[in-house]
Amino acid sequence: MNAPRILLLPLSIAASAALLAGCTAASEPAAEPVDGGTLVYATGDAEPGCLDPHVGGNYPQGLISTQYLESLVSKDNDGEIIPWLATDWTESEDGLTWDFTLRDDVNFTDGTPFDAEAVKANIEHLKDPDTASSTGYLAVGKIDGIEAVAADQVRFTLSAPDSALLESFSQPWVSIQSPTALERDQATNCESPVGTGPFIVTDWVKQQSVTLERNEDYNSAPADAEHTGAARLDAIEWRFIPDAATRYAALQSGDVDVIDNAQPNNISSAADVATIEELDAPRPGAANRIELNSGKAPFDDIRVREAFIRSVDVNPGIESLFFGTAERSYSVLSSVEAAGTSTPDVFTTDPEAAKTLLDEAGWDTIDSDGYRTKDGERLSLTFPISTNQSIPAEQSLFEQIQASAKDVGFEVILQPTDLSSWYGALFTNEYNLVSAPYTKVGADVLRILYHSDSIIPAPSGYYANLAQLSDPALDAILTTASETSDASERQDLYAEAQSIIVDGFYVLPLYDQQNHYLYSTSVEGFRALPPVAAPTFYDAWLSN
Amino acid sequence: MTVSTDAPTAASVSTPATRLRSLGWIARRVGGGVFVLWAVATVIFFALRLIPGDPVDAILGGPGSQASAEAVAQIRTDYGLDQPLIVQYFLAMGKLAVADFGTSYALKVAVAPYVLTQLWSTLVLTLASLVVAWFGALALTLATSGRGRVARALGSGFELLAAAVPHFWLASLLIILLSNTLHWLPPISVPGPLGLVLPVLTLALPLTGFLGQVMRESLTNAYEQPFVLSARARGESEWGVRLRHVLRHAALPGISLSGWAFGSLLSGAVVVETIFARPGLGRTLLSAVTIRDIPVVTAVALLSALTFIIVTIATDVVDRIVDPRVTEVAAR
Repeated sequence: MNAPRILLLPLSIAASAALLAGCTAASEPAAEPVDGGTLVYATGDAEPGCLDPHVGGNYPQGLISTQYLESLVSKDNDGEIIPWLATDWTESEDGLTWDFTLRDDVNFTDGTPFDAEAVKANIEHLKDPDTASSTGYLAVGKIDGIEAVAADQVRFTLSAPDSALLESFSQPWVSIQSPTALERDQATNCESPVGTGPFIVTDWVKQQSVTLERNEDYNSAPADAEHTGAARLDAIEWRFIPDAATRYAALQSGDVDVIDNAQPNNISSAADVATIEELDAPRPGAANRIELNSGKAPFDDIRVREAFIRSVDVNPGIESLFFGTAERSYSVLSSVEAAGTSTPDVFTTDPEAAKTLLDEAGWDTIDSDGYRTKDGERLSLTFPISTNQSIPAEQSLFEQIQASAKDVGFEVILQPTDLSSWYGALFTNEYNLVSAPYTKVGADVLRILYHSDSIIPAPSGYYANLAQLSDPALDAILTTASETSDASERQDLYAEAQSIIVDGFYVLPLYDQQNHYLYSTSVEGFRALPPVAAPTFYDAWLSN
Repeated sequence: MTVSTDAPTAASVSTPATRLRSLGWIARRVGGGVFVLWAVATVIFFALRLIPGDPVDAILGGPGSQASAEAVAQIRTDYGLDQPLIVQYFLAMGKLAVADFGTSYALKVAVAPYVLTQLWSTLVLTLASLVVAWFGALALTLATSGRGRVARALGSGFELLAAAVPHFWLASLLIILLSNTLHWLPPISVPGPLGLVLPVLTLALPLTGFLGQVMRESLTNAYEQPFVLSARARGESEWGVRLRHVLRHAALPGISLSGWAFGSLLSGAVVVETIFARPGLGRTLLSAVTIRDIPVVTAVALLSALTFIIVTIATDVVDRIVDPRVTEVAAR
């Protein structure tokens, strides 16, 4: 018994030495930042159809627009809202009027001054049906009136108090663009949106790359930036490399400097590569989770929902398939949301208890294939999977879930499809299980995902409440929370809401929405901007 | 050297009657091509509406949009999506008939110039691959057929292996070998010829194997023909026999298959362009299908079909030039 331990000793010494060496390397004084150079960024996200994130409004647009557009406020690493294009703000007693003080020394890169009229034009642009905005349109939904009180004073009047207003304003989909540029036709503005950011869009070769050049007059860094003035890099080449293995190969060969959407196997092997570093920046809003559709049988019965959650043990799968790069979550909310509550006790695995629950629920007969039945009907669960959203490791995890649910008598039918077909299945209610990521800044995402209003489809057919959770008590709590500006009161309400959601077994949380960047050690000063964990290269520089 | 004995009756080609027959033949091919284009457009039109997913989503910036009712209604009117399907179909065909490909749902730009720039990139890739595969197959078969057993076994073994390898696997292998290990080539497409090497190799190697297999067979048959014997009897060297007499026969099935091969290269381009992050029709098609950008899908499909038709006609013409017997048979 002792022998292995003795053998391990030199190993652990070696490991500690390596760790110490790592510490020394890290504590070396950082070199002086140098100006110049072009950084090549390779994204695995889809190429945006439009570089103006007001139009539609998806994550790929948010990633790239963070380089050239800026928002009224930002968030720091502690989750506190900090000034950006707005320096100060006050909320009226009744929560219906917000006054923002704006920076008075900032210009858009086309020379148009940034002022209250510009802010007004942007909110109106988001609300204009011609813009066809989705994400930004939702974020400013409660804004009824906008008034440019003075050049540096803008007043918003709301239809109802909105405790999430500042969080909404911190998102890239509500960033502020030049009103002069917005007056151009949409195709032109999509090609070359104009903002106040540290870089300027100068060229877009479709299916290839976007070129971003330094804004020499830049002076509006967010309050948590490392330096002031213009960016250090001359330019960024923003390449679209859809294949994950190619992206990693290009990073290894030095053809690109930073990659996003790094896959677990690459992150794991990069840990042994001295010239590659990792940045793990989970996205805000909801954690990745499996929703149990309570809107129809068999999950309209809480016992069947609980039985499903008791029957699957996802931890070994997450550990092995993600090579230890993803941590199991026991919360509906992302770990970056301060309001998130983690409840591991709710999600314990117990196949025997699951079988008892199914017996009680009437699924007490077993057919020749080993699946449970009730009144001659098999206990079947349809699980559409978006292959555009679920990475291969996640798809394999779902296969493991399928296998362990079978032991208890659930038949899980996995249906991998492309994004459009996947939404088609959701819109026609042809699913019992689904995993749908949702990014939004702040705990108000709970209202979007679990308020019964969100079961009513948007005009496009979309609805966010995929668990089809309809509970008047929960609705009341979420509405109150969205209108409560007192932080601790709000926190309590969200805790209460989360306990209703998890105790009702409507969701099975898996892990944070994964957002791993790998980058060359020659890139310094690179970080993710806290609001939606998009990369920012304002402080970044190339050391060789 | 004059017309050799292995190309019989070449003199009979240019009588007025045969020329007329040739014109009629070309007219039939072109008419058939137009029919194929119409069929492609029709199938694409209905197929894209039968699969789940609303084209409005593509216009709204992708599926999952929560845009306002006004926005959705406006888009339906603007793009004519509120009309009955059959009306939409005839409107679409009418526009296609005058080469109006419309505006991309996702990119909001005119489809025709956008897709044409992507076509150029794909043409460079596929034609380069075709040429490389052709020369590769010729060199391989000429060097190893009719030789000793070992050479033949090596040659046909390579052909079998190459023809069976899937593109995505070969691409990964080439990246690991030539890019990550030997550091000779960039793993992603970069401007200039260097960035073209890996994508072209990936597409060309399996085709080399396939063409090689076909050429080897006809080459082996040609060796047994009397004209080879008589050439040898005239004292022609071994390479002289191969290049001047046997090559033509070996090339024939290769030429006939080039049209088909080009089609397979176009479909292979979807994988290769995605893996090597190279712009082109394949990648454009993939992303357009994913988000149901119908005008772009239609244009890419039509353009691919058109290119395929042109190449097929071209190979048929070349076939008739290289082997006049084809005309004779067709005319009978």
